[in-house]
Amino acid sequence: MSKSELNALDHIKLIPRNAPALRKSRENNPMPHLVAGNPVSTRLESGIGNCFPGLECDLRNLERRFFPFLEMDMPGNEITLVRVDLDGAVAARRKDEITQEALCAYTTLAAGGAWVVEALAGSFGPLGQLKLRMSDLGTPSTGARRRPPDPWTAVRLLTEGTDVDIVLRRSPVKKGGEKVSLTGKRTRYLGEDGALATMFLPGELTQSLCSPWTHDFRDCACYYWASNHPDIALPPFPSEPTNDPKWYKAVPWERSDRTLDKLPEPATYNDPTPIELRHYEINRRWQVLNFVIERREQLGPYEQQHFAGKPLANKQVLEAHLRYAAGVELAVVQEYLAAAFSLKSPEQLSGRLRDDVRAAHSEIMRIAIGEMRHLRAVNDVLASLIKRPAYKPALGVATKIPGVKLGTYVPVRPQPLTKDALQNFINVEAPSESVDGVYADILATLEQRSSSEEIQAIRTVMAEGEDHYRTFLAIQEWLSPYTHDEYLRIADVKPPPDDDSYRTLQEQYADLLVLLYKAYKVGMPQGAAELNTARNAMIGKGGIVAAAEAVARKGTLVTFVTPKDPRFTAVAPPP
Amino acid sequence: MFHRFRSGAGEHLLVVPYSRVFDLSADLARAFDQSGADQAALVDALAAPEPGEAPLGDVVMPTPQSISLNVSSSCNLACSYCYAARGSFGGAQDRPMTWDTARAAIDALVERADPTAPITIGFLGGEPFLNRALVHACVEYAQMQAARSRLDIRFSVTTNGTLLRPDDLALIRAHRFAVTVSIDGDKDVQNRQRPRAGKVHDSFALLRAAVAPLLADPGRTKIAARATVTRHDLDLSRRFAAILEIGFPEIGFAPLRVHATRGDDVGDALRDADWPLYLDALTTVARSEIARCRNGSMIRLTNLAVALKQIRYGASSPYPCGAGGGYFSVAANGRWYACHRAIGVEDFALGDNAGLDFERRRRFVAQRHVHAQAACRMCWARYLCSGGCHQEATARTESACGFVRGWLEFCFGAYCELSDGEAMRRNCVEGSCNEQVRIERA
Repeated sequence: MSKSELNALDHIKLIPRNAPALRKSRENNPMPHLVAGNPVSTRLESGIGNCFPGLECDLRNLERRFFPFLEMDMPGNEITLVRVDLDGAVAARRKDEITQEALCAYTTLAAGGAWVVEALAGSFGPLGQLKLRMSDLGTPSTGARRRPPDPWTAVRLLTEGTDVDIVLRRSPVKKGGEKVSLTGKRTRYLGEDGALATMFLPGELTQSLCSPWTHDFRDCACYYWASNHPDIALPPFPSEPTNDPKWYKAVPWERSDRTLDKLPEPATYNDPTPIELRHYEINRRWQVLNFVIERREQLGPYEQQHFAGKPLANKQVLEAHLRYAAGVELAVVQEYLAAAFSLKSPEQLSGRLRDDVRAAHSEIMRIAIGEMRHLRAVNDVLASLIKRPAYKPALGVATKIPGVKLGTYVPVRPQPLTKDALQNFINVEAPSESVDGVYADILATLEQRSSSEEIQAIRTVMAEGEDHYRTFLAIQEWLSPYTHDEYLRIADVKPPPDDDSYRTLQEQYADLLVLLYKAYKVGMPQGAAELNTARNAMIGKGGIVAAAEAVARKGTLVTFVTPKDPRFTAVAPPP
Repeated sequence: MFHRFRSGAGEHLLVVPYSRVFDLSADLARAFDQSGADQAALVDALAAPEPGEAPLGDVVMPTPQSISLNVSSSCNLACSYCYAARGSFGGAQDRPMTWDTARAAIDALVERADPTAPITIGFLGGEPFLNRALVHACVEYAQMQAARSRLDIRFSVTTNGTLLRPDDLALIRAHRFAVTVSIDGDKDVQNRQRPRAGKVHDSFALLRAAVAPLLADPGRTKIAARATVTRHDLDLSRRFAAILEIGFPEIGFAPLRVHATRGDDVGDALRDADWPLYLDALTTVARSEIARCRNGSMIRLTNLAVALKQIRYGASSPYPCGAGGGYFSVAANGRWYACHRAIGVEDFALGDNAGLDFERRRRFVAQRHVHAQAACRMCWARYLCSGGCHQEATARTESACGFVRGWLEFCFGAYCELSDGEAMRRNCVEGSCNEQVRIERA
């Protein structure tokens, strides 16, 4: 039978009928066994491929054949030509798929010598149509005119199937040196059948990998190991308990000196390699690496902190606590937004300061949005407790919020992100303090009476507080080198009430609360339209973000006035 | 490399190495049949050995696990076709075996055998029960020695059945013998083909009386009848019925291929023209057994039962038997021959109680590997028939081999129709081949 018939046979099953036939075809397939050397983990759907270079499959290799009939390598800052599929090009010319000119170009490239890509023009995904010189990447890295940071990223951005113009130059590149230009369609990764395109040769994707993995563990610079390979951690407590702040500074986790009771040198920005375990040491001494729980290396059995949450007396008390919790979330949203908008706009800044301020702004916004989700989560728990239609959404801001010490309260105070304000945030979000105290009794009550969904919702809220705590610590670190003048654009000054921007902001805020109320009242999916409108009202064009930005640009504080609407009356802490 | 066949269950493919059987869709079957050598790639892949499958080109010399003792040199019957010339083997076996010789042979077997596999001692002749004292003594001794060495020992005997006495039956039952009774058919056939030497009374009646108690109460004995077929009577159905009627649970037919006594004279052996008739007769019996089997009965035709079992488990060997490999036959003089039919044939003498001659043995098995048989090289049945009995090699004619292939093809078809592929694939168990085959429709 012809080759194509034979190939078709691969898809046809031969049904085994006796024991030796069954041995041959464990799964009713005559070509059954996986050959040693091609583990199932190399399949893209099951592998852990990443780009640095990867444990099972180096995804960077997918870009090597981005241009028809050319095979490239992309080490560092260059794209170098490795091989030309001249036969393929010749065949394409015969079918009139490429021009004679193109074939000449391929022939020149195939004739030998070293070639590098000088320029690429094409459709670079979100960056749009661009003409890029490979020597000219990296800056600017932000804004509308941003450039890919390196050639591989540039190639990765090219849209499959779109036209690409490529210019190659003989290497080493000299002025007036020989140049070759080609136009072609950016190749596709997958074939008609959804499998990897046949242009990839067997073994090509796994030709560069981390090996052995223990060395990679030692040296890995990517975030793959985030949870199992911390760079730094708090040192294990000495045998005598201590409050000495020295023991609260992070140290390199892979340090070679494991002497107990001796305070290790704190981690710095300097390369820790001299004090860390060497590669071969890691292979033998990996057992000395300590477990890290709650940021600190542990030497002994770990006792989880328990909240002494007490179940609340009855449903009404629970409801009151939930409403207050919702109020606290809304209150901190207002404080965080005020802080976020108090930061200078990155466009006004440059260098390290710009990056740190941009990072701080992003992270505070992320936390603020997280609190909004908590507000929603608490309302969901309330709704399943009270049940619709009796349920009334909890959108009243708290009159005061828990202080650092359990049982104390402080007023809600939006302010610019001064160092003091930041320290306050840290204190409030610290684990086992304040806000967790708000939820501890709620959780204890729910554990007695509620579905796991509600328990998980509250647990998640509490757990995310831990993340906020650490994020604020990081923000504190980023902003520590700067003065307030350097990174703040707002003084602790409220805008005058008749200020246009300020009035717009308050109107929009009131409208937003009404939308949320309507959406929460009827639940999902009936309230979906309102909810989407609410979201748009926040981040859409001319929405609250824009209004807040306008207020902030005037140098005034972004605050939110509670509307007089009885549905949004402020909530006091329960007795 | 492959053989295409069809059955009531559809189109099939036999991959010759390792005897793999597959069902084919109609399209695939057509593709196979139309083109020539191009399906080689697929078949090559299917023919390649799996882990655990031994290469078929290997010349194997396993440890001897099975011996037969030619305990007697005479017989009370005078069957014309007897390969042993009634036990004397034309002079090579001029007296019965002595106890010393037998014991030495048993000791040698017990000492050399692979303890992880069973060992077998068979009794042959002539008529073994003419030397019944030795048979009894050997069994008791061998059982004891085997127990001491923690070996799994089995016994077998091929007998004309006419001389069995109650104590013989007791021995047989007690030690779970596999008994093969040579009986060729009804009274007429039996008395004609297997007459009593120099006596008037027929062997049939004698046989019938002697085996009746054993057939009535076999215990755990495995009993089978073995009927020799000469060219003079190919009505197997009638013979089959007659032997069944006596009470035998199982009957196997053995066509006479070579008339042992003289060279050119074919004698009673089947000739070229007879084989198609024989095939027809055998398949007729087989078909009636298959029909009974579909109704839940056991298959009583040994030839078919064994074939089905071997197809199921994938029998595939370059050797037709263990001759010179795991099996030897000991003559009365203590010499070890590759086969019980070859007592006195010098080429087959491979050693004695003291030991086996490695070179002679190696030469023997190498020469008899199916790859060394010119006639067999292109035959699709070469790992099933494996060349057939070494003593019958001279009788390999196109017609005789055509019978073998025809019979095997019939059995393959029967297997595919009878077996439930789904159940097999679900429950496939690579089991031992010791149990009687019962092919059931699920």
